[in-house]
Amino acid sequence: MPSDELPSVPAPPDAVDRPRIGVDQWVADVEGREDERSQLRRGFERVPSAGWLAVFVAVASVLPFLLNQGDLFRYGLFTLLYALLALGLNVTVGFAGLLDLGFIAFYGFGAYFYAILASGHFGIHWQAELAIPVIVVGAALLGLILGLPSRRLLGDYLAIVTLFFGQAFVVFVNAANPKGLSGGANGIADVDPINFFGYELTTTKDYYYFSLIVFVLVLGTLYFLSRSRTGRAWRALREDPLAAELMGMPVNRLKIMAFMFGAGIAGLTGTIFAANQTGVFPGDFDVSLLITIYAVMILGGVGSLTGMVIGAIVINVSFEILTPATPDHARWLFYATVVIALAARVRPWQRLLLVLGGTAVFGFVVHAAVQALSPSATDGTVVSGGFLTDVIRGWAIVPKHPGDAAKYAYVGLVVAILLVTRLRGWWRALALIPTLYLVAFVWENLLIDQPAVTRFILFGALLIALMTARPQGLLGTSRVEIV
Amino acid sequence: MRLRLHPPRSVGNVLFYVGVAVALGLLLREGFRLGWPLFGQLVVNGLTLGSVYALIALGYTMVYGILKLLNFAHGDVYMVGAFIGFGVLNVFGAPPNSSLPVWLLVSLMFLAAMIGCGGLGVAIERFAYRPLREAPRIAPLISALGVSFFLQNSVLLLLGSQFRQYPFGLINPGGVQLGTVFISATRIFVIAGAAVLMVVLTIFVKRSRLGKAMRATSFDREAAMMMGIDADRVIAATFFIGSALAGAAGVMFGLVFTQVFHFMGFVAGLKGFTAAVIGGIGSIPGAMVGGLLIGLGEAFATGYVSSTYQDLIVFCILIFVILVRPSGLFGTPAIQKV
Amino acid sequence: MNRRTGGVAALLAVIAAIAAVAVTTATATPNHAARALVGCKGGATIGLLAPITGPAASLGEPQQRWARFFVSRWNVTHKKFKITMREGDTQLPNVAEATKAAQTLASNSKILGIAGPAGSQEVVATTPILKGVGLAYVTGSATRTTLTDGSRSGYFFRVVPPDAVQGPTVARYIVNILKKKNVLIIDDQETYSTGLSADAAGELRSLGATVSRDSVSQSASDFSSLISRINNNVDVVYIPWQLPPKAQLFAQQMREQGKRQILFSSDGTFDPTTYKPAQTAYNSFFPVARTNKVVTAYKRSHGGQPDFFGTPTYVATQVVVEAVAKACKNGSASRAEVRSNIRKTNIKKSLLGLRVRFTANGDLNGGRFGIFRVTNGNYTPVG
Repeated sequence: MPSDELPSVPAPPDAVDRPRIGVDQWVADVEGREDERSQLRRGFERVPSAGWLAVFVAVASVLPFLLNQGDLFRYGLFTLLYALLALGLNVTVGFAGLLDLGFIAFYGFGAYFYAILASGHFGIHWQAELAIPVIVVGAALLGLILGLPSRRLLGDYLAIVTLFFGQAFVVFVNAANPKGLSGGANGIADVDPINFFGYELTTTKDYYYFSLIVFVLVLGTLYFLSRSRTGRAWRALREDPLAAELMGMPVNRLKIMAFMFGAGIAGLTGTIFAANQTGVFPGDFDVSLLITIYAVMILGGVGSLTGMVIGAIVINVSFEILTPATPDHARWLFYATVVIALAARVRPWQRLLLVLGGTAVFGFVVHAAVQALSPSATDGTVVSGGFLTDVIRGWAIVPKHPGDAAKYAYVGLVVAILLVTRLRGWWRALALIPTLYLVAFVWENLLIDQPAVTRFILFGALLIALMTARPQGLLGTSRVEIV
Repeated sequence: MRLRLHPPRSVGNVLFYVGVAVALGLLLREGFRLGWPLFGQLVVNGLTLGSVYALIALGYTMVYGILKLLNFAHGDVYMVGAFIGFGVLNVFGAPPNSSLPVWLLVSLMFLAAMIGCGGLGVAIERFAYRPLREAPRIAPLISALGVSFFLQNSVLLLLGSQFRQYPFGLINPGGVQLGTVFISATRIFVIAGAAVLMVVLTIFVKRSRLGKAMRATSFDREAAMMMGIDADRVIAATFFIGSALAGAAGVMFGLVFTQVFHFMGFVAGLKGFTAAVIGGIGSIPGAMVGGLLIGLGEAFATGYVSSTYQDLIVFCILIFVILVRPSGLFGTPAIQKV
Repeated sequence: MNRRTGGVAALLAVIAAIAAVAVTTATATPNHAARALVGCKGGATIGLLAPITGPAASLGEPQQRWARFFVSRWNVTHKKFKITMREGDTQLPNVAEATKAAQTLASNSKILGIAGPAGSQEVVATTPILKGVGLAYVTGSATRTTLTDGSRSGYFFRVVPPDAVQGPTVARYIVNILKKKNVLIIDDQETYSTGLSADAAGELRSLGATVSRDSVSQSASDFSSLISRINNNVDVVYIPWQLPPKAQLFAQQMREQGKRQILFSSDGTFDPTTYKPAQTAYNSFFPVARTNKVVTAYKRSHGGQPDFFGTPTYVATQVVVEAVAKACKNGSASRAEVRSNIRKTNIKKSLLGLRVRFTANGDLNGGRFGIFRVTNGNYTPVG
């Protein structure tokens, strides 16, 4: 969402010729880049945010007709859940600048609370129209309690307290389990579906549409909230708490409110999650989910609402495409990403052509040479992958027994990639050729055999690369921290 | 101008001493109730665990002190250290059929782990954190998570998921009987080894040129640079030392607790982080005391209450310390200057 | 109308539109997946659900390797009917990931049956998904007794006996054979261990033994303080854990502190290469034939590691593949056909040394546990 626009002041007629006194290097750089932006991009930015929302909702509404149930569940529903969680986290971290590492506990609280209110665990079966408000208020109250120390603690100390709060939540529901409240390690099973005035949500499609409605509601609320007095106050607090306090803002109340809003949204999301999974288990609320949601938020750009949606789509979809159950998709995605990344980063096009062509030729030469030396080194089976299989068989070396060679190659590849990032110009282009071939070798012999592990390695590498390239996230605005 | 962000220091102090007195009282009561041999045994257990935590916490605290960065990949560097030690063990064989005497073997393990991890730390800093030095605070945090994912899963990919075992009682299967308390040779070695490392580190940071440069850089990086200190070099050195200590901690962990695997860095990193915060993040003596405190806290919580509630009890200690001393035991009070 | 009310009105309109789409398309489409015929002349596809990554990867990897081992052996001997296996990573204990993995396999219409999932909570959470598309799922490690209470009949099967068999077997051995009366049970705070502990504790109490309980976290890496507080009048320490290396450390630290109690553990720790306590110790496992040629062949191709924890998954894969092969005799098969074939499975002696025939609820017919005495890594059957 574009930030508040300032009323434009007409520039003096001779603005171009004047010496730019008082404009520092950084501002000049940014302005220069703004001017370079293409017409197309400026056109995109002129579309009002409501327009983007309409496009998103239109696409999202037809998804159930295009995807089968499994894909709708993995790609559709979970993207919405991640986006909702990221929106909630964004209030605390993005708007108010409070580093909350215990966020998932609110999500877990919502899920467990719903499971207790609507399942056979205690024989209570509340309707959703009653349960949801109670849960959201309950989660917000929990947020208030966790928000209390935030009045005193600064940055990283707050982070550690909240992180431990998240851990303590899992220990509490798993091991402590007072009076069988949370079902211990077994969790609570057979949770009721969400039930509005007798209308039950049963299928994945129902949950998908329900989440979409909730998502639009939350997004809309946050949009107005971020432009309200409170939203502006939060941003002021984020930029400089001391200045905000001196301006007479109720800093403590604002901090606690941010916690409560984030917690309430997380609790609401937890409710949907629990009902859809028909159960809650302690393992669902572990740190791995926290890391994923942080990745969504930061990838999208802290503080940006649209960014949360984009972040959720990128993270969840790429994770699910790399699932080990569909190795063919993973291979396509992998090679396509490599080529696209090259196309985006290697300039000019002559150099790109050299790299791609060089790699192809290099591959065939090496393949032929190795085949001549030892035929057994190239007759391994290529993991299935459509018509790409034949190309790969003739190009990449796939030994029958790769053994430890692939593992050494992996270590070599990591070193090679790090070295390539240090080279410049044509040297980099030349060094890229054997490196790319090594990438293919490692992929075909090691990574594709262990897709489940591979996706985490790629995820880690993606986070590092992305942060290096765009520290502010995809849609975040770059800020200069004034020391 | 200055602004006070804490409750009056006197109130915090009074609460702090009351808390310490209550804790000591409870320990005394349990000591009399369940006998002093158990107490002694718990102290030994706690000190062993605490030494490992303290070494990990040092790396956290040093990096934080100089870059204000929470290096979440630190726990995984420690894991890699444990694996390097295991690799050395594998190459030369375990004692009965080893080609080397035990002392040489163990020194080699430490040397390899410390140098290997130190190098890894420098590489991580060079490629993952340095490009982000001027970025918003949260960006390197995510980079650190990325490094953590990458290291953990690379080890999983290359070495598999099974636990690797250090031989039990590698240094000396015996030990010392102090009254009714038995202290194994390995535990003595680990506690003493950690103490030596910490003393050496303290002297290094206090006395050496590089140590002074580190302190200057952590106090005010820009001013230090203006004084002609090469900040990049100092930061790299900090990462090297912190990571080498984590590597040593990994080998020590392997020697006492024998089981190493790819996921071990996560929990240990969390404990080290907590120790650093309790001690006052950025403070070197604080990290040592914090580590020992967490180790002892876990031992007493398990021994006197129940291991089920161990983590919750440590959590309560943390909350208490942070609420009465918001910048940790040894941290400098956070007075913000504007 | 000012800008804000306009915005709110627009939002409400959008929501109404979504609701309208949702309601008009909500006419439930009946699920044909269960009865749909899949052509399978030259081969067929099955699924595997296991925790291949995450904190429990050391359990999931052996399962994955043993399942792959069965498939590769099958494909060597059955050139005309090759099996393809699609793997789903459940990342135990993260159940949400398990449901995603199950959805991926469930929506792949080529998949006819599934081996796994590993954990009991994963079985609970994936049941609505797998049952909804008519898939059978055969687990090699989910032993919670209540899984076979009848609510999953015809879909869920397991090739290992449940906790209600293992717990009491251990309890009776401790009281009747070892003649010990004071037992400390330490669980490791996950479903397998807490379930088994509860079953063993119940039987021990009814046999007149004194039972005390404690638990350790899954992430604990030091047990010395817990061991320090073990009372000297305790005779037997029962640790039904799922990670053999942790049990090994527990045994080592017990010896370090001179604690002389008998150590008893369960099938999760049956791992002669990792769990080899030096003190008196017992273990309960299936009466597996450890010199079986399949085990020997597996060890040869996996660097000497037997990975016994994965053997039940081998049997589970075998059950699924054989049922699929039978259903595919006429060139095509449906998931329903595979389910009814699995129900009729009859393997005289599986790799686990047990006869595999299922009851109506999916349990083994007459499954039992053997007790092994463990001395320095040698597991000798004693009962």
